[in-house]
Amino acid sequence: MTIVQQLVAGLGIPNFKVLIPEIIVLITAILVFLAELFIKSRALISALTVVGLALAAFSMLTISEGAITLYGLYIVDSFSLAFKFFLVIFTILAIINLQSYVESKKTYYGEYYYLILFTLLGLMIIVSSPNLISFYIGLELSSITSYILVGLWRKDYRSKEGAFKYLIIGGAGTAIISYAIALIYGKTGSFDFARIFHVIQDNSDIGVTAGLVLLLVGLGLKASAVPFHFWTPDAYESAPTPITGFMASVSKVAIFAAILRIMVEAFPFSNQIWSYGWAILAAASMILGNFVALKQKNVKRMLAYSSIAHSGYILAALASPNGMGFTALIFYSIVYLFMALGGFIFLSAFEKNGNWTNDFEDFKGLAKKHPIMALYMLIYMFSMIGIPPTVGFMGKFGVFMALISSNVWWLAVILVITSVVSAGYYLKVVAYMYMYEPVNSNKFKLTAMEKFTVGFLAVLVLVVGIYPTIFWEISNILTSVLIMNAGVR
Amino acid sequence: MVPYEYYVALSGLLMVLGLIGVIVRKNVIAMLISTELMLNAVNIAFVAFDFKLHDVVGQVFVFFILTIAAAEAAVGLGLIMAIYRMKKDVDVEKLTELKG
Repeated sequence: MTIVQQLVAGLGIPNFKVLIPEIIVLITAILVFLAELFIKSRALISALTVVGLALAAFSMLTISEGAITLYGLYIVDSFSLAFKFFLVIFTILAIINLQSYVESKKTYYGEYYYLILFTLLGLMIIVSSPNLISFYIGLELSSITSYILVGLWRKDYRSKEGAFKYLIIGGAGTAIISYAIALIYGKTGSFDFARIFHVIQDNSDIGVTAGLVLLLVGLGLKASAVPFHFWTPDAYESAPTPITGFMASVSKVAIFAAILRIMVEAFPFSNQIWSYGWAILAAASMILGNFVALKQKNVKRMLAYSSIAHSGYILAALASPNGMGFTALIFYSIVYLFMALGGFIFLSAFEKNGNWTNDFEDFKGLAKKHPIMALYMLIYMFSMIGIPPTVGFMGKFGVFMALISSNVWWLAVILVITSVVSAGYYLKVVAYMYMYEPVNSNKFKLTAMEKFTVGFLAVLVLVVGIYPTIFWEISNILTSVLIMNAGVR
Repeated sequence: MVPYEYYVALSGLLMVLGLIGVIVRKNVIAMLISTELMLNAVNIAFVAFDFKLHDVVGQVFVFFILTIAAAEAAVGLGLIMAIYRMKKDVDVEKLTELKG
């Protein structure tokens, strides 16, 4: 036998069937990377990316049974598949709006496409990692490509500054997470969630506690929870707007999914520290995010702070560490994708026009000029406040009920009060659109894709808000899959 | 033979020094070096724990951290070059335009 044959015989061949979506995304990324050198047609590159992602999404639907593969480094179950499906679909929605935006800003690079694909690949790895090694690799793959994506704006100083702040703070977060992994490894001797679970089940000591706290800090930093949120407004404001939308929705939701999996599968008996930690981070995010957003003059920066506040609402669900809290977290993070991406794509559609600066003044009289688009924005804003027929209400309601069921009243009260405060700035956008006369009668140019994306997501926000049963059931099933996984492996 | 706790203590010290460096230094290159220092502190911790556990998995992780640190330094230095070309400065206080 040759050495290769001996190796294969000793290790076994990984089950590549369940890895097909990731392989398709990787191949598409490499193809786009090469094609971008030779093909001049920009629409073709964009189309190639979208076709690759659509294939990946379709191949996910054909996977009928999950597996743990790559020698225990990778898990494919319904939890990871469902999240990956949403991540891929929303990446497509961000990519179809990218070309018109970057061309109008004279900052087109072919690099955007394959960098987004590599970020997506990293995010797909972190939602399906049962092991701290693959989690760390995925996190870094997505972080480093995000730093580049933020700084890609041609001849724009602010973009470089935002990217550099993101890099320094993100790099510190990486180091903190890896130190936490080192401490946990030092105690348990393993990176596998199931092994960690068994070892620290009954003998937790100061090393594990320190590791947990550092992991909490690092993950909070990546999810832009408050004491560690400094990079968020700067990076979100200075990045090209479709990229901001991608980061605020897709990247963030993947981080929440990873946090949930780590919390349930690796450290279920450390609930006390975890839950208190997340509760404090969530409370700080909700309070600071909402109050600072109140005094913003730029709508893009305001939405960045609102995304910090939404991190708070979503992480608050972790303060009730039971099935109800996890279901609320999954439901809210999936529906948060609709609102966040929709809001940022709305801004990117209008920002293409030279005289639009994302200021509140620009929104004056928008309802007269573009009644349909203004209506969509109204739906997003109402949803972010949490007004009943929209999906934002159902998300907050789920978190609220979960908090009350496990007697975390103080956090539930903060959630409601800060939601009321948030109306102050979301309704300001609505008021500027509907209650002022237009300054001039120039119409803005919008592409069909942008109208479609914004409209589609707004309709989704309304429909899921009125009939949340399907998504709620999906979240319920995913929670039970996750909890069953925890003990068995 | 030096007990492994000493190495862990050293790595903790380097980690804290790196964190302080990121917070107090005003030079962008020094900030980047501080994040690299933090990652190297982690490498020491991994090797020390391997020493205690008589295992090699942690040392494999060190390779991953080394590559990631290199990639991050490459991106960071690229950004510093771009910033320096535009502003001819490396002082954080003079470079800040994004505020609020």
